[in-house]
This record gives sequence, structure tokens and C-alpha cells, in this order.
Amino acid sequence: MSWITVLWSMNSAVCLTLAAFYFVVWCRERENWVHLLLSSSAIAAAAIAVFELAMMHADTVEQYQALVLWIHVPVWALIVSFVIFVRLYLHAGRLWLAWSICSLRTLVLILNFIFTSSINYRQITGLRQFSWGGDIISVPIGVANPWGLLSSMSLLLLLIFFVDATITVWRRGDRRRALVVGGSMILGAILAWHVPLVIWGIIDIPFFLCFAYSGIVVAMGYELSNDIARAAQLARRLKVSQAALRKSEQDMDIAANAVDLALWTWDIPSDEIRISHKARAVLGFSPSEKLDAERIRNVIHPEDRDMVRKAVKNSLQTGAENPVEYRVVLPDGEIRWLVRRSRTEFDRNGKPVLMHGILFDITERRLAEERLRLVVDATATAMIMVNKEGRITLINKRVETLFGYKRDELIDQPVEMLVPERFRSQHLGDRHGYFCDPQARPMGAGRELFGRRKDGSEVPIEIGLSPIHTSKGLLVLASIIDISERKLAELEAARQRHELAHLARVTSLGELSSSLAHELTHPLTAILSNAQAAQRFLADDDVDLNEIREILNDIVAEDQRAGEVIHRLRSLLKKGEPQKHCDDVDMNEVARDVLKLMRNDLINQNVTVDTDLAQNLPAIRADRVQLQQVVLNLLLNACEAMTASDASERQLLITSKLENGAVRMSVTDRGGGIPEEKLEQVFERFFTTKKEGMGLGLSICRSIIDQHEGKIWATKNADCGATFHFSLPTNHVRNEAVITE
Amino acid sequence: MLPHPSPTVFVIDDDAAVRKAVSRLLRSAGLAVAVFASPREFLAQYDPDMPGCLVLDLAMPDINGLQLQTTLGKKGCTLPIIFLTGHGDVSKSVQAMKHGAFDFFSKPVKEKDLLPAVRAAIERDAVARREQAKRSEICARLDTLTPREREVLEHVVAGKLNKQIASDLGITEATVKMHRARVMTKMKVQGVADLVRLAEVCGIRGIVTSTPQLCHLCSV
Repeated sequence: MSWITVLWSMNSAVCLTLAAFYFVVWCRERENWVHLLLSSSAIAAAAIAVFELAMMHADTVEQYQALVLWIHVPVWALIVSFVIFVRLYLHAGRLWLAWSICSLRTLVLILNFIFTSSINYRQITGLRQFSWGGDIISVPIGVANPWGLLSSMSLLLLLIFFVDATITVWRRGDRRRALVVGGSMILGAILAWHVPLVIWGIIDIPFFLCFAYSGIVVAMGYELSNDIARAAQLARRLKVSQAALRKSEQDMDIAANAVDLALWTWDIPSDEIRISHKARAVLGFSPSEKLDAERIRNVIHPEDRDMVRKAVKNSLQTGAENPVEYRVVLPDGEIRWLVRRSRTEFDRNGKPVLMHGILFDITERRLAEERLRLVVDATATAMIMVNKEGRITLINKRVETLFGYKRDELIDQPVEMLVPERFRSQHLGDRHGYFCDPQARPMGAGRELFGRRKDGSEVPIEIGLSPIHTSKGLLVLASIIDISERKLAELEAARQRHELAHLARVTSLGELSSSLAHELTHPLTAILSNAQAAQRFLADDDVDLNEIREILNDIVAEDQRAGEVIHRLRSLLKKGEPQKHCDDVDMNEVARDVLKLMRNDLINQNVTVDTDLAQNLPAIRADRVQLQQVVLNLLLNACEAMTASDASERQLLITSKLENGAVRMSVTDRGGGIPEEKLEQVFERFFTTKKEGMGLGLSICRSIIDQHEGKIWATKNADCGATFHFSLPTNHVRNEAVITE
Repeated sequence: MLPHPSPTVFVIDDDAAVRKAVSRLLRSAGLAVAVFASPREFLAQYDPDMPGCLVLDLAMPDINGLQLQTTLGKKGCTLPIIFLTGHGDVSKSVQAMKHGAFDFFSKPVKEKDLLPAVRAAIERDAVARREQAKRSEICARLDTLTPREREVLEHVVAGKLNKQIASDLGITEATVKMHRARVMTKMKVQGVADLVRLAEVCGIRGIVTSTPQLCHLCSV
């Protein structure tokens, strides 16, 4: 046996072995078509080797011609396999080139069988036999078929296709594969060019196409074996990692159990639910029971089923992972709260295949929340929690009764809906300010606060604010107290105080009554006398009209004077409404008014009054009548204190001045004075030194000055007598909107 | 000084409007009026020879009406005082009347009350002044008597006989007659009855005391 026969036979055998091996591989893994392609390429290469060996040993022209004709079948199969292999395995090569090669090759095969001899030779005229490689081999002699150019063109296209594919793979970075597979393919395609050269008679050697192609097949086999080896390696690693995964899943299960967390998986196509032992125990399932969606649904509280179903549906459609809190009813009837979190896995077509997630028992938390809610609801204080956007996140029952809204109408609404419209814009600003500097404090210090009820009515309230830092950001808890009743009580107290003050005023004026009457008699006397004088003048024949005019003018003036006296009196005697007479008051004017009222009384008591009033005193926002009452009381007291004094000693001094931003007025007498220890006591109710006094005068003075946020006190003079002082703040702003009708 | 000696109404009131109105009313009745804002002002211009009356406000600062009344009384002023007052000063009005006030009116005072009162007061003042003048003349006559003649006068006025007088004084009846005739001449009277009347005017009511008594009313 010559070595040529050995070489070609071995080539064929190797190829067949490869083919068999990869066919078996393909049979096991049918989706991997590359293995089948390699198998078919190897068979074709083996067939080519057999054909070539037969051709070399052909004895007759007919024999040779038949071999040349039929060798095209394995060649076609080989080239088509290569092209598909390149496309499938290397993911390279231009598609149009692939199609061109395959169709050209098919055309060549068809034409091959149409022509009488073959596509290579129009006619084989004879066989030349010579010794080569230790054997006698036959080489054809004949006329080349010009259609054979098509075959050559397919070889050229194949070469281009390989080169292009190799470059693509190289550039992709897979250089080893480019070198091994691409390189062998390019080399094979180049070597295949000896066929046309032999046919055209340019060179004179036997065909060795099988070596060109089997080299490619071996390279392909080598690459695929690499892949298989790698796959095996991966499989091993996978095994290891799966073991680790199982371990970690067990760990997870243990950890999950420890924190009342249950893991679950729902295989959607098979509707099979796997769930940890702990969860089975919690939900009342036996360890071996097979679970599906229906079984799980049945343990959910009937009221929550619909909600859970919607959430699951939503997750299946959108993959949303929103947590859902719901109740389950255990076999013994116990109700537990669970929170469910899930993730949905989808296949390539977007069909949900798997859902897995956790279940967490939040019964304790829910109970705690419920208890907290009950406690919060039970408190007499209305409580509202507001988030940074100013929306209400929590209210208690008291809020519902206080504002007349239902819980649902308030939650997630802007808190401004509870603020009267006229305060809303200010409240917005205040709220933002509070979030910039959150600290527990009362709201709107010094201001009257009102809440707006659903029916639009307003309710006076007091609000305490506390910042609460939570995982959801800063929240503010507002504790609201309805102070309507306290307001009513305050109003009632104010009314009583007012009544008392009025009573005291009337009493004081009673003491002055004779001199006040006198004050009126002056203008009345003047009027009557003037009028009667006029009557007399008019009775004369010779009437002096100028005189009459003057008299009438005087009458008018005196009438006005009487009117003023009456007005002063009436304003002091009038009861009026409490806290409704706030205007800008000049303290000096108040003192002068009171002195006018007391004029006759002072004269009758031989009291002389000196005044030292500061110029340009700022006005005070106050109740004029009440301040007149204070001054009147102090002056009456001073006169009273001096009744025992010698007439020449009966001197009063009234001073006013601006002191530390307050207007201070002092009344100094030269009476008996007040003992040091009683300087404070004199302002107490029912304290009196007079025989007929009620002991209310000074206590009322103090309550009036207190209402005006001022101070009143008494001092002992260095020589004799006492001085009473009171001071009133000039920047004093009384809230006039206290009373809401 | 007041311009003429016709009777004048002196109005004293610290209230300018009242002062003016009252004076106007008095003027409308044809009376001469002088106004003063305070007792002090009046005292500064006071002339005891001016006839008329006072219309005085009771309550005034510094010196009030009652104090002025007292002061004038001390000065022997006989001007009648009509007080005007506000309501209710009962104790003060009583005090004023006790001290010889001519009349007392509450303000506002009516014309029909005030004008007659003022006229009556002026009249009384005139009478008083006339009597005063007469008294002054008699007193002047009395002053011309010797002490003995005065003693005799007192005994005569007491209705004693010459014999009794002679025995009381320790002189002869003839001497008594001589003194008696001289007294009659000096006192410019015709009979004992006239002498008694004059003596009464001068406040001499018969012999009670032998001390010569001057007419205190004249000693202004």
C-alpha cells in the first residue's frame, strides 16, 4: 500500500471520526446546529478524500469522468456547510455573499449534471498515469469546460467571504478564533485553487482538495471542542455555585424565619407556589401540602381579597413592586396582618413566568398602630400631622368633631383648608418658615388663631407644633385646642370687670356729683341770664341790635359748653362694650379732661393743682374712658388723703413723661401718706382707709392698667404724702378683633 | 376808683361767661354794674363810699364767697351781699345767711328773682347809708357834750326825775336843770321824747352803766 493511499484514507477516517463524534454531540443538544454542520462538513470532506483517492486510481476515462461528476455533490455540501457555519458560529460574513455562494454553488451542481461530462471538462480525452509518491496515479487529459469559470468564481467568492468574516471576528476581539477558524478557512480556500489550475493544465499534480477542506474541518472541530470543554467547566462551576446558592437560600430562609419574614416563589406556568416552612406554619399549611394561587387566595381575609387580586394583576402586567398590606385568616380564626412584596420575572416575549417575593408579619406593628390610633383618638386634643408639602397625613377623631370634616375628606388635603381664608396666604408663609426652623413651640405667638370648620364658621383655637423626624422626612404634629369656652369665660370675666369698673366710675362721679352739677350750672346760668337780658333789651324802644347779636352768640357758645360737659359726663357714665373703645389717647388730654370735671370739687376742697406735663407725648392705644377713670380715681384719692391737711397744704401735682418707651403719669399729694408695708396692699380689692369707701377704686385702677399691659404702683414721698404712678407702653397694640360676633 | 357815686352792682364770679351774662342782665334793668373775676380783685378796688350791692359767687378758687363776706364784715362794710351758688350747698348757704347775706339764689338764677333782690338790696344800702349819715350827725352832737352833761343825758333818757338824778350824781337839782338845758340845746331837741329817740339811735338806752359809750357803728 502506497503512502498516498494511507494519507487519503487517514484523512477520510479522521473526518469520519469527527463527523460521528459531533453527530452524537448534536443528537444530545439538538438546538446547537453548529455541531450538525461540523458533522456534515466532516462527512463531505471524508467523501471528497474517498473520491480523490478513487480518481487517482481510476483505470478508465469513463470511470474518471463519473468520479469528477459526482465529486461535486460532497463539494456542494461542504461549501454550503462552511458558509452556514461561519454565519451561525462566528456570527460573521455578509449575508448576500453567503446567499451568492450557496446559489452559485447550487447552480454549478445543476449545470454539472446537465453537461455530458462535467462542469470541469467538456470532454476527458485520456488518462495520463505517472508515478508519484510511491504509487501510480492517474491524471485526466481533456478539454476544460468554460462553465467551469462559475465554479472558480464561487471559490473566489468563498475566499472573499472567509476573509471578510475573519476580519469581522478579528475586529470583534476574538483573535484566537479568527486565527484558527478564519485562518484555516482562508488557507483552505486558497489551496482549493489548485483544482482549476490542474484542470486548465497549468500545473500537473493530483487533486488534494480533501486536505484543504479537512484542515478547515479540524480547525472547526478544535474550536468546538474548546467550547465543549468550556461548557463542561461552566457546568462544574454552576454546580458549585448552585450548591452555594442552595446554601445561601437556606441561610436566607433561616434569617427570614428569624425576622418573621417568609420567602415565596410562584411559578406561574405551572401555578406552583413554593413557600418557606415558617410561612407555611404561619398560614396554617402542612409542610407537604401542594400550594397554588387558589389555595393562597382562600386564606386572605374576604374583605382584602379584591385589593390583593388587583395588586397581583398589576404586578403581572407592569412588574410593579408595590408592597400590599392585607389580612389573612388562620385556621383557628385568628387574623394576622401581612405585608407582601413581590418581583415578577418575564420571559423574552414579556410573558410573566415567575413571581417571587417576601411576606412579612406586621400584626404587632398594626396592633401598635391601632393602639396608637385609639390613644390619639381618645385624647381631648385635636391632632393633625402635616408633611412638608403641607398635606395632612394623619388626624384623630377630635379633629373630625372640631372641624366637621370626615377623615377621608382631610387626609392628603392641604392643611390650609382648615385655616380661615383671610389668614391663608400668611399661613403658607408661616408654614414654610416653620419647616426651615422646626422646633416645638406654640403657633402664632401672641396672635389670635382661628380654625375654619366645614360649614365655614370659625372657632378660636390654640395650636402647639412639634416637629417629628421620620423616614419619610420631616412631619409636623399640630395639637389643637378649642378655646371657645375659655374665650367665653374670658369674655364673661371681661364683662364683669367692665361692669365693676363702670360701677366704680359711677360711684366716683357720685362723689363729684355736686361739683359736676355746678359745672353745668355755669353755662346754664349764663344762658338764662343772657336770654333774659335780651328779652329786656328787646322790650326797649331803642334796641341795640349789636348787643342782641352778641348775646345770642354767647348763648350759643354757652350751650356748646354745657353740651361738652354733658358729653364728658355721659362718656364716663356710659357702660359701653368691654374692650371696644380703643383709640389713640393723649395722656395729657386725659388728665386735663379729668381736671375739668373735678374743677369745682377741687375748688370746694381748697385743693390747688399743679401740672408738669411733658410735651409731645406719643399716643397710647387704649380705652380713653377707662384711663380717665384711673386718673379720676387717683385724683379723688389724693384729695381725700388731704382732707385733714391744712388748706394751704392741699396741693396736688400731676406729672407726665416718656420713660423707657412708656408714658408715665404720676399724681403726688401732700396728705397723710401710706405706710411702707401697705404700698402694695392698697391695690388689693376691698382694702380701704376711708369710712365710706368700698375699697374698689385702686383695685379697679390696677385691673384697667393690667388690661392695657401697663404698671401701677405707689411710692412714699420724701417729705409728706404719697405718689401714685402708672405707666403704659406706647407700642401697645391691642387686638381689636378679639370678639367674633 | 368807681366813676360816680350812683348805686352800683358789684358782680364777682370766676366764670367769665356767667359774669358777663349776669352783668348784662343787670344792665338791661338799667343798673350800673362793675364786674370782678375774683374777690381779691374786688378788694383791691374797694371803696367803702360806693353805694350799691354785691352779687357774689359762692364757690371760687383762692378766696371764696364766704371768706370775702367775712373779710368785708371785718372791715365794717355794709354792702348787702346776694349769693349765687350751684345746687346743693345747703350748709354753705346757711352759713352765708347767718353772716348776714341779703339773699341767696341757686344758679341758674331767674330775672324775676335776681332783679327785685338787687333793687331791694340797693334800697337797703341807700337806707342804711342815710341812717348812717344821720347817726353820724347825732354822734357828732353827742361828742360836744361834757362828761357831766352826758351822765345827765343818760339819766334823763332812762326816765329819771331831776331830783333822782341830783341824788344819783351827788349834785344839786339846780345844777341838774342847768346841765339838762345845755344838753337839750347841744342835741338840738325840743323835749325829752326827742332826746330819747336820738339816744336810741346812738344806742344809749337809759342809765345802766356810767361809762361813756361811743357809737361803735360810726367808728369805721
